[in-house]
Amino acid sequence: MHAIRVVFGKELIDGRRDRRAVMSAFIFPVMAPILVYGMMTFIINMRHQAQDTAIPMVGLDNAPSFVRWLEEKDVNVTEFKGDPRLAVENKEVELVAVIPNDFGERFAQTRTAVIEIVYDGSRTDAMATVGRFRGLIREYSSEIAALRLIVRGVTPEVMRVVIAEDIDVASKQQRAVAALNFIPLYIILAAFVAGMGIAVDSTAGERERKTLEPLLINPVERHDFVIGKWLAASIFAALGVVLTLILCIVALVQVPLDQIGLNFHITGTQILLMIIAVLPLALLATSMQMLLGIFARSFKDAQSYIGLLTMLPMIPSFFLMLNPVATQVWMYAVPMLGQHLLMVEVLGNKDVPIIAYAYSSLASVVMGLALALITARLFQRENII
Amino acid sequence: MIEVSGLAKSFGSVVAVRDVSFSASNGQVTGLLGPNGAGKSTTLRIIYGLLRQDSGTATVDDIDIMAETRRAQRAMGVLPDAHGLYVRLTAREHIAYFGRLHKLPEEKLSARIDELLRLLDMQSIADRRVEGFSQGERTKVCLARALVHDPPNVLLDEPTNGLDVMTTRSVRELIGELRSRGIMVMFSSHMMHEVARLCDQIVIISEGIVVASGTTDEIRDAAREDNLEEAFVKLVERVLETA
Repeated sequence: MHAIRVVFGKELIDGRRDRRAVMSAFIFPVMAPILVYGMMTFIINMRHQAQDTAIPMVGLDNAPSFVRWLEEKDVNVTEFKGDPRLAVENKEVELVAVIPNDFGERFAQTRTAVIEIVYDGSRTDAMATVGRFRGLIREYSSEIAALRLIVRGVTPEVMRVVIAEDIDVASKQQRAVAALNFIPLYIILAAFVAGMGIAVDSTAGERERKTLEPLLINPVERHDFVIGKWLAASIFAALGVVLTLILCIVALVQVPLDQIGLNFHITGTQILLMIIAVLPLALLATSMQMLLGIFARSFKDAQSYIGLLTMLPMIPSFFLMLNPVATQVWMYAVPMLGQHLLMVEVLGNKDVPIIAYAYSSLASVVMGLALALITARLFQRENII
Repeated sequence: MIEVSGLAKSFGSVVAVRDVSFSASNGQVTGLLGPNGAGKSTTLRIIYGLLRQDSGTATVDDIDIMAETRRAQRAMGVLPDAHGLYVRLTAREHIAYFGRLHKLPEEKLSARIDELLRLLDMQSIADRRVEGFSQGERTKVCLARALVHDPPNVLLDEPTNGLDVMTTRSVRELIGELRSRGIMVMFSSHMMHEVARLCDQIVIISEGIVVASGTTDEIRDAAREDNLEEAFVKLVERVLETA
């Protein structure tokens, strides 16, 4: 116990003074909320732009009722003069709607009338507006169709043989969380990024600087060295995780999420529960890194292995995003997947059974300890020095 | 006191130590002399418990090193071949770290650190981070942390390697000081004049075996040479021919 405390204390001081370790530990938590804020603001702006659609139009006079209908829908219809093709090609406008001269005539004769949309299919940014305009035309068309049927004494329901009705059981809050799925991923990544510097420095770094031989001559059991170093690295990882979590949430609260129909609230208890859910992962992340660090001959060597390791936490999260399955209890016991599930559920304000926390924490702590003991075994080997 | 008998150690098919026996008593300086790759460092590493011998025994103060490694390590202060330091710690923090690993109580520790800083004349650099220390200053830090628990047995692997004249002198003085306090001192070197000057006993190792041991005079007699260096070369070559 005494030796573990001594090693732990020394590694904390050493780590705190290591600019490289501190930078890698704390750049990430600061970057994450900036990214969150940027991404969410971007999404909100996109929706905003879609809402105030502007449609340059040729032949307004050919369809006055349609134009009036559009204006009621807050669409900004403007008269377009010039060559529509040329203007679209030169990117002066996103699209031009052309209402042919025979529009009124065909409309009156209940024949299918045509509105031409001139657009550039290679411009992805314009497609949102084109899509919205198409939708509006479809909506107008079915409204008029219904009216025509009623006039002829036919119910408009003949047009709608089968319809789908959406019964979405997700609360508004849960839908918000689905959109915020990447936040748990960030927090999990923080566990891997923040402790890495010190985990590698106290293993591969110790070998590289030739401090391992003098250290191991001290009358201390090898596993005490490993555990002291492991806990010190885990403190860094834990700090990184808590900082990332809190800053991400601060950033989220700042973003006007209600503008995109997301209802996001978070309480202190939820934040605390998320911290409890994710903290044990710090122990696992650093013990993985130390194991790789002890295999490596140098800091550089170790970093290339551990770079790959950092991809690992993304796997369960992507699995969840691409393949949403019903949560089974065993999933909580899968490191990273368990933490991800717990955080999503806490964010969505779902009741999570205590056993889920127990499974997920226990799995990470036990695996972390097992890997630390393997590292200690490797420390025993003669060729370590 | 260190006693080594019939020590052998191989790494795969490479035999590093074939048959090494000697004893080093308290209050004496024992020099381990031999060409590069003779097995000096491997022998020392077995003694300080980093390697396990394939056969033979090694004891320190009658403690079997292989059986009771940690207890044996408490009785030794070691300046190993690797002189690495933690660049972000100060000299004082280095000494304190090793003192705490030896379970020195805090109040005793700070007094001991001050004593060592004085002894090695390093008060002026005590609270500077070791990054940028000269070779001599680094060696002093290594020596101080090796001696922090006041060990009865001191082992130094090539202690004066790469040092300037002034530091070499203070290391020599330190060895003399330790000897006069009844401590067993053992050091390895390939510098003849240093060994001749400092040692009460010399053990010459070549090709993993002890080719001669005894006082300077005894070694010279064994080789029938007046000069220790000549004697050394002759003894080593004799082994190489038979090998």
